[in-house]
Amino acid sequence: MDRSVPLQVRDLKFRYPDVAAAAPGWTVDVSNLELAAGEQVLLTGASGGGKSTLLYLIAGLLDPAQGRVLVGGSDIHALRGRSRDRHRGRGIGMIFQTFNLLAGFSALENVMAALMFSEIPGAEHDKRARALLEQLEISRPDADPDQLSIGQQQRVAVARAIVCDPVLVLADEPTASLDPAMASAAMTLIQNICEKKGAALLCTSHDPAMSQRFDRKAAIESLGSGH
Amino acid sequence: MTDFTLIRRSLRSRLLSSVLTASLVALSTGLMLTLLSLRDASRRAFDRGSGNIHLILSADSSPLASVLNSVFYTGSPARSFKWAGYQDISKKYPLEFAIPVQQGDSYRGFPILSTLPEFFTQCKPDSAGGWQLAQGVFFKSEFELVLGAAAAKATALKVGDSLFLTHGQSDFNDVSETPESADSKWPTLKQALAQRHSYSKYKVVGILHPTGTSHDRAVFAELNSSWIIHAHEKRRMKDAAITVTRVTDLSEDDRLITALLLRCRTPPGSSESPVLPRVYDELRRNHPAITIAFPAQEVERLFSIVARVDSIFLALASVVLMSSVFSILIALYNSMEQRRRQISILRVLGCSQAHIFGLIVTEAAVIGLAGTLGGILLCVVANRIAAAAMFRQLGLIVSPTLLIEPALAVTISAVLLSGAAGLIPAWMAYRTSIVKNLRPLG
Repeated sequence: MDRSVPLQVRDLKFRYPDVAAAAPGWTVDVSNLELAAGEQVLLTGASGGGKSTLLYLIAGLLDPAQGRVLVGGSDIHALRGRSRDRHRGRGIGMIFQTFNLLAGFSALENVMAALMFSEIPGAEHDKRARALLEQLEISRPDADPDQLSIGQQQRVAVARAIVCDPVLVLADEPTASLDPAMASAAMTLIQNICEKKGAALLCTSHDPAMSQRFDRKAAIESLGSGH
Repeated sequence: MTDFTLIRRSLRSRLLSSVLTASLVALSTGLMLTLLSLRDASRRAFDRGSGNIHLILSADSSPLASVLNSVFYTGSPARSFKWAGYQDISKKYPLEFAIPVQQGDSYRGFPILSTLPEFFTQCKPDSAGGWQLAQGVFFKSEFELVLGAAAAKATALKVGDSLFLTHGQSDFNDVSETPESADSKWPTLKQALAQRHSYSKYKVVGILHPTGTSHDRAVFAELNSSWIIHAHEKRRMKDAAITVTRVTDLSEDDRLITALLLRCRTPPGSSESPVLPRVYDELRRNHPAITIAFPAQEVERLFSIVARVDSIFLALASVVLMSSVFSILIALYNSMEQRRRQISILRVLGCSQAHIFGLIVTEAAVIGLAGTLGGILLCVVANRIAAAAMFRQLGLIVSPTLLIEPALAVTISAVLLSGAAGLIPAWMAYRTSIVKNLRPLG
């Protein structure tokens, strides 16, 4: 995994098969997008503009019609099956609006679940996950996420995204379900931890307040080949 | 955090459904294993029970009834015949032994086998070994008896104790509850029907080691004594003044037996007798009124009848197993809707489609394995209950044990079938759309 080039997107085009007939044109059309090591970029755009879809394409969860996405120097779509999943697990951390924590698993287990698919030796999983949760001030790592406050759940989700030391963190509207004060605190946490870990951050948000936090901003509409 | 943690949590999140499906597997595999082990144990008990006896002569209605009554004590022989006509049978045929036995009496429900002292030296309960005493000696004289191991245990009788025999197969015999007891003004029906042979008490002189055969529940009594107590009652009916009956008072009509246990001569070191077919034919020709039974052949015939019933039960158990496998499929299939989000999260974390597929199939197999382990436990418990019931209801001593090979075969089959039941849900999980399922709820 080449940490110096976390993300390179070239001539990426995608449309959902079921909407292709109804709405001609691309759902995602990105001619060029690069993130340097540790760089933090806010991706803006209208609802339904393809921001989340772009993140899923970068994560290799969707296959583009054309173009390339290099994560840590490897073309994620050139990888197939298990190799792509392994590459995603090791190189990319994802944070979601609704946190998407595993129900029925403790906060600690949620973080350790990410380590299951990493190269980090099993013997270190517990120690590493606990240390990170402690660093993020999760006082009850063995509690189920639904017993934790919303803020703490968000921190568990952040811990899970970062625990494998990814080169890139993809945050899809991570503060959309939080009140302004919590949203600000959550974004500070995400940005700080990414900075600390040296991970690049590509974050989508509707919230205008978020734009001041990022030096670099990119509107999804402006990334296409038509611009 | 391992795959097993994921599977365990998944099973725990659907605890009731998991337990119910595993219970169904347990029920079917338990039933199968119990049937197989009982069949095997019964077979061993019957094979062993006839010991070294080649032929049985009796007045029973059929050879099977003869074997069941005379060797396995499943009932009392309905008819008896005179010993006098067969006393010199050993001289007429090439026999190693011809031991007369008389049945029909009991002690607290345990059958009495009245016979000669030679019974213990010549007849063997098991083709492998002879009788062994746990306590005391074999009977030698009149009114002495030896207890089978199970009979001794159940009655708590010891060497030196005395008892009266009861006519027929009555479980009533306690001396303190005799029909004549002053305390019981109105006897119970059981008491009223029980006819105690009050002429003389028998003395317990020996207790046998367990043989693992039906003989363990028998009480072995000296034959002359049996003739005496029955003759005395007949004589008293004619003349109430008679107080004593001795061997010398016995007539040929009193010397009745219910069976004659025969063994033909065999070459040294062999239990097979080349003269057996000839002896059988001659006996049939010379004694047409007598039933002649080959114990080994009758046991074989009995099992061929039982095997048909067994097959039906095994087929039923297989149907239950298949339905339990379907229930695993349905339970997992129904759970897939709720699990799509979890599967999508795992995929985002780096879990491959193949891994997800494997997790679901393994989960199904784990339900099958848990069920089979429950089935094995069920089989162990059911074996004990069935053995006790067979002893109590039929008087058969069987020692069913869990059969390793069938248990392994059933376990492997159940796990494979359960795993196969997980294939459709696993395919659904494999095909789960991550993007659709990660969208915010609502």
